[in-house]
Amino acid sequence: MKIIKNSMVGTLESSDIQIRVEPKDEVGIEIQLKSSVEKQFGKQIKKVIKETLESLGIDRAFVIATDKGALDCTIKARVQCAAYRAMGDAQKINWEVID
Amino acid sequence: MERLRRTMMFVPGSNPSMVSDAYIYGADSLMFDLEDAVAINEKDSARLLVYNAIKTIDYGNTEVVVRINELHGPYGRDDVEAMVRAGVDVIRLPKTERKEDIYEVEAAIEEVERKIGREIGSTKMMAAVESPIGVINAYEIATSSKRLIGIALGAEDYVTNMKTKRYANGLELLGARTQIVIAARAAGIYALDTVYSDIDNEEGFKNEVELIKQLGFDGKSVINPRQIKPVCDIFAPTAEEIKKSANIRRAAQDAQKHGLGVISLNGKMIDKPIVDRANRVLQLATAVGLYKEEMQNEK
Amino acid sequence: MDYDFNGKRIFLDDMLERKKLEKFLNIQGIKLDKNLDYTVGIYKANELIATGSFYKNTLRCLAVKSEYQGMGALNTVVSNLMNEQYERGFTHIFLYTKCNYLRLFNDLGFYEVARVENLLEFMENKSNAVTNYSLELAKTSVKADRVASIVINANPYTLGHQHLIEVASNENDVVHVFVVSEEASVIPFLVRYELVRRGTTQFKNIILHKTGDYIISNATFPSYFIEEEENVVVVHAKLDLEVYKKYIVPALGITSRYVGEEPYCNVTKKYNEVMKESLENQGIKCKTIPRLNINGKAISASTVRQYIREDKVEEIKGLVPYTTYDYFRSKEAEEIIKMIKSRKSRH
Repeated sequence: MKIIKNSMVGTLESSDIQIRVEPKDEVGIEIQLKSSVEKQFGKQIKKVIKETLESLGIDRAFVIATDKGALDCTIKARVQCAAYRAMGDAQKINWEVID
Repeated sequence: MERLRRTMMFVPGSNPSMVSDAYIYGADSLMFDLEDAVAINEKDSARLLVYNAIKTIDYGNTEVVVRINELHGPYGRDDVEAMVRAGVDVIRLPKTERKEDIYEVEAAIEEVERKIGREIGSTKMMAAVESPIGVINAYEIATSSKRLIGIALGAEDYVTNMKTKRYANGLELLGARTQIVIAARAAGIYALDTVYSDIDNEEGFKNEVELIKQLGFDGKSVINPRQIKPVCDIFAPTAEEIKKSANIRRAAQDAQKHGLGVISLNGKMIDKPIVDRANRVLQLATAVGLYKEEMQNEK
Repeated sequence: MDYDFNGKRIFLDDMLERKKLEKFLNIQGIKLDKNLDYTVGIYKANELIATGSFYKNTLRCLAVKSEYQGMGALNTVVSNLMNEQYERGFTHIFLYTKCNYLRLFNDLGFYEVARVENLLEFMENKSNAVTNYSLELAKTSVKADRVASIVINANPYTLGHQHLIEVASNENDVVHVFVVSEEASVIPFLVRYELVRRGTTQFKNIILHKTGDYIISNATFPSYFIEEEENVVVVHAKLDLEVYKKYIVPALGITSRYVGEEPYCNVTKKYNEVMKESLENQGIKCKTIPRLNINGKAISASTVRQYIREDKVEEIKGLVPYTTYDYFRSKEAEEIIKMIKSRKSRH
């Protein structure tokens, strides 16, 4: 699965996380995180983002995340959606992979 | 016994804080909306948000309902797939007009249940009637599927279709309400009334809840936590009703204990519908803390 | 949970809505900017409590009613605007705000690019974009004693521009020529850039660049912050110069900036004055070169455009290098000529 364009999902409202995904040439997932709870949860948030992308078969992407206290399930949902939006129009969700 | 569905709280599926926290308000059911509350460009993100939430969050005793988009549009099928996979309790169809609408969604649900190995029939359904033709077909809709647990009225679209608008006394909805509740009773499923949007008008809201209770509805759709308690209070049985029902239950338990074929109380025969009704009253009473089961076991 | 706020688009050609919005903004101490593509209002019941707009990829006119500050209304505004921006294909987003809101916007994922002290913050939604721009520029840097820079719009490239570049080329080791990439001119950037490229092949010490999103035109600069009309130009110039001094000068080791004398446009004249003072304070020479004259008149790109508009392409021969002239006579230029003819504005 390849990221081919820029996408954004989520809002800056409380309990949400805004995820912006951009294509990247070299292998590797680079995450720029801004979070009010960076110290305690920064690592965990980045982990969830990375693992969610990897589970979709994505090995390279730029992610800019602005977190406002989102739960892991919200982070996952936003990342999954941003990834699909960034993969191009006709990409249908592969539920076997997400489930 | 049927679960209580006095309040069904509408939660926009696109709002993560509401989707994860709304259960704390104590509504009997939560309805995550993927349809009218969600903007077109957020249909995909809301679906994934609700999917992940249902999979991860423990909603306790609260029933989880999702209002999907209509099957004929671009979103409905994906909604069904996602929600069945997530393990939703009930799928609510918008704008139901005839039994075929139910058949189609049921087929879509069954397909996914098979695919993932979820017990066939475990995903329940609810139909929302929002148009004149839907009201006319209420009974055929209410009896169209074993999965169908309830039928609801969606007033906003209905009044638009009827070329009128909503008034304080609700007379314009009388025809639809009565048809729907009659159909629900005849089919043995539950009847849910529409939302009341003027959150600040507490008086108006209470009047409407009194009215629908009188008509026989089981519950009301709510859009704000503030509306939950008034509904529960109004649906709570009176002390007299509770006493009467407790006695009916005692008589029934007695008859069972002694192997009696017929239940009677104070010279009157008590048949099943009356026992069911009594149990229902006690269930409502228990839910608002007006009745405790233990009182029965002092012998 | 904000069950109470709801967002709705405000259409500014609806006079009633516009007046309501202007009234709201006035109370918060700001004006409605003249250039706006999209505006959103956040309402509690029927009361407007917050608003925000954008023009192209910059957010502007953001305001929250004082009683509702601190409740996340701004987050709702910015989320809504960013969503709409992404729908329109803008993912690199900028904003202008007052200095005391820096922290607030940091929390929303915006980072400072430059500021005009006590007046204006210029921010973007990526933490390293401008430094990356700077690093990319630095890759083209040539170590030398005399490094000049020129910023031109070149709408289109004329003998006047060529003259300026020629003077700089003769007096310096390296000249970095920046073509304004903002699309605020009738001739698209790619064409303007190409004409500059074709018209500078004779100079051996020229390096061409695009200005990128960090230098903007007067047309785009938000004027609503500033009380006095005259000061708008001053603040704009100061901001451009902050960006220039912070990111462009160090990346390229610039020692001087060359600018064409401006006899016609007062706005540009003022801008140049501010620039000269600001740069010389930092030890960067600022040289103003008199315009090339033909028959006593300074060559101007707008004259060239005017001739083209009047179907007198032949007349531009004496005003532009043959590379530009050739272009306007070619099939390539047909579309552009059509655009110039149909464009009503001065630019």
